Amino acid sequence: MKKWLLAGAAALLISALSTPSFAEYKAEHRGGTIRLLSRSAGGTLDPHINYTLQYWQLYQPTYDGLVTFKKAAGAEGFKIVADLAEEVPKPENDGKTYVFKLRKGIKFSDGRDLGVKDVVASFQRIYKVSSPTSGSFFSGIVGADKCLAEPAKCTLDGGVVADEANNTVTINLTQPDAEFFYKLGLPHAVILPADAPTQDAGSVPIPGTGPYMFSSYDPNKALVMERNPHFKVWSEEAQPDGYPDKVQYDFGLSEEAAVTAIQNGEADWLFDEIPADRLAEIGTKNKDQVHVTPLTAWWYLPMNTRLAPFDNEKARQAVSYAIDRNALVKIFGGKVLAAPVCQVLPPGFPGHEPYCPFTKDPGAKWSAPDMEKAKKLVEESGTKGQKVTIIAEDKAISKAVGVYLQSVLTDLGYDAEVKPIATNIQFTYIQNTNNKVQMSITQWYQDYPAASDFLYVLFGCESFREGSDSSVNISGFCDKEINDKMKAALALGVTDQAAADKMWTEIDKAVTDKAPAAALFTPKHLDFVSKRVGNFQFNSQYYWMVTQSWVQ
Amino acid sequence: MLLALIRRFGQMIFVMFGISVLVFLIFFVTPGADPAARIAGRNASPETLEAVRKSFGFDQPVWVQYYTLMKKLFVTQDLTSFVNRGWKVVPAVIDTIPVTLSLVIGAAVLWVIFGLLVGLIAAATRGSWIDKSLMALGLIGCAMPVYWLGEVMNLITQSRYHDSWMFSWVPPLGYKPLTEDPKGWFLTLVIPWITLSILYIGLYGRVLRANLIEAMQEDYIRTARAKGLSETRIMLRHALRTSLISFVTLFGLDFGALVGGAALLTEVVFGLQGVGKLTYDALQNLDLPVIMTTVIYASFFVVLANALVDVVYILLDPRVRSA
Repeated sequence: MKKWLLAGAAALLISALSTPSFAEYKAEHRGGTIRLLSRSAGGTLDPHINYTLQYWQLYQPTYDGLVTFKKAAGAEGFKIVADLAEEVPKPENDGKTYVFKLRKGIKFSDGRDLGVKDVVASFQRIYKVSSPTSGSFFSGIVGADKCLAEPAKCTLDGGVVADEANNTVTINLTQPDAEFFYKLGLPHAVILPADAPTQDAGSVPIPGTGPYMFSSYDPNKALVMERNPHFKVWSEEAQPDGYPDKVQYDFGLSEEAAVTAIQNGEADWLFDEIPADRLAEIGTKNKDQVHVTPLTAWWYLPMNTRLAPFDNEKARQAVSYAIDRNALVKIFGGKVLAAPVCQVLPPGFPGHEPYCPFTKDPGAKWSAPDMEKAKKLVEESGTKGQKVTIIAEDKAISKAVGVYLQSVLTDLGYDAEVKPIATNIQFTYIQNTNNKVQMSITQWYQDYPAASDFLYVLFGCESFREGSDSSVNISGFCDKEINDKMKAALALGVTDQAAADKMWTEIDKAVTDKAPAAALFTPKHLDFVSKRVGNFQFNSQYYWMVTQSWVQ
Repeated sequence: MLLALIRRFGQMIFVMFGISVLVFLIFFVTPGADPAARIAGRNASPETLEAVRKSFGFDQPVWVQYYTLMKKLFVTQDLTSFVNRGWKVVPAVIDTIPVTLSLVIGAAVLWVIFGLLVGLIAAATRGSWIDKSLMALGLIGCAMPVYWLGEVMNLITQSRYHDSWMFSWVPPLGYKPLTEDPKGWFLTLVIPWITLSILYIGLYGRVLRANLIEAMQEDYIRTARAKGLSETRIMLRHALRTSLISFVTLFGLDFGALVGGAALLTEVVFGLQGVGKLTYDALQNLDLPVIMTTVIYASFFVVLANALVDVVYILLDPRVRSA
């Protein structure tokens, strides 16, 4: 089994190297229907509320914000470019004020002109519909506190100010925010018509400004995207025109059936993970149709710093020393699909500098587990023999990782057991302190390319909330000194991002040393497309750019 | 008769009420299932969480929430999903009924015809190699789990032999509405029909054979023989009729349960968006409104099927009629 996987994996690697470069629009490929598949729908279609990668990928060619992430392959996709605004404005008033000048002549898919009033209404709407990030990413706009307290009466008075005559919108912040443009580039801040419903629009599409619009949505059947008849290209890098005339996203086929359908040329791509038992097959039989890309994400093992035995730093470090990350990489599908890691920030991320203290020869890279050191640390911590329960997801890989960790903990002298629970419950379950979770297996994928999105969100004191299902600092880690440093780095980023990133490098090391979580590996993303799909481009921020590929 | 109907109806209401309360309570005591946190999204701030809690009424006492849910389900019928927000649940379930009915009725036709044939032939040739091999095949049919059989069928017809002359006619998985594309409807359902009916053909054939053999020992069969009737006539007119009682009972229960969503695994494997698949997806996502609606719907069909079976009894068995 393993051998086969490796053979398949090697084949995948070869195909991963041939990524096409950015090119001009090729009119001869325009047209046709691209058919995407997914096990199930991704929830509400409302871009201000949906928080799934599945639909964020589709919002790229349908909606626009004032600024956006560049529609380009690779890490270029992390760059912020002007979208509905004419240019990315310079900060004024010590980084607390930004003035956006809107482009003229942009229309919504229902034919109406985009104006400053739509921008103001859209920002109010973020709070009115209780967008998931309204209290985190967008709490820094002047007036946001009132909007969060009373969403229905949200005005953002003095926070988002329109100037009809000059066609500008001014946004005032309570304090400088180095990551403000990233937040504006997320789908939760796209501009919708001013009269969009002030509650979750659910399965009713809201008009957007991109080259495509959603024409129908039934969560039990399909989501259909068609061309927006009122679209004209205003910026190639912000919102290029697409190739297929129609995107048909069908729900309901299992992953197995979807892989077969793509092999048969009946569908073009599947959203879900490809079943492990098909990897070898497609790696050899369909190797030209496979694209593998590293992700800015990590699989990690939060250890509850407020519960025994992992309230003891040495016990946590012992676990990190003892884990054989190569074994985990094999469980995940081999070297082509994952890379061992022992720090928080993923490779390719701002502030990332290779660092690994928990290995045989500490240095930049992980080489092998150090069992001796680990056992010694457990001995010193005095936690030997204690009971540890690992909470895994009830998916094959997570369960396998759990069973492996159980053996490691047993070797270390703990009395370990694994409890896999339903994938859909697990992530909220492990966050709630009431459930007294000691150790869990989970993943974190970036929202936007800033170090704070991993370090501050996952290990900042402010992300810990006692007794709540929404407490993403799962380890309950709160170190005042590190927390202050993170806040200082956030503030520094406003004026000097490079210096701030240096600080984040140090913070990354400090957090890694304290071991509130054990980093396991960096996963890679595997896209399996049909034979007819051309011009496959993978954007680091929003993954495969569906409409930039052609099918004829 | 009227009294019996009213009693039946009362039972049905009682069963459905009990089930709805159970579903509701299980949902709310499940840890990690706080619907507000799930709806609000990852890393939502306490303010957002509170706003969601309030707008969905999760801050109300449990019995008020139960009442609201039931009112939205039965009275105003505007119950919406927790996961695919804004998606109306009642029309969604109604939408899936044709799919499930198409699957189950087609399979039922197959399993009734072949179940009868297998049972009759086996009983008529009792003890011979035909009987033995039919019963062995029936046992194999019963023993194959439908999700496994379905995947194997898919492997053969969609993947390995998809391009061969035998299976090149098999369309891609998924449902095509009868009204839009009758031929496509039929072709996509052939394999699911066969898959779902194999289990029941085996089961019904075996049950019918046992009943027929038992009936053949009865006094009225001896009387019929004494009258000089042919064996075929005795088998078809006299023995089969009383033997059909357990066949019909089984059929009523199975059919009711399948229409109610028990064909779930078949629907999932073949990508048919029926009631079962809707239930399956809702369970995976902890989507209480959808789970509740499909469960109520399913219990309705099971109880209804039971009532119908009672009526058919009366038609089949003269002894019940006079009693």
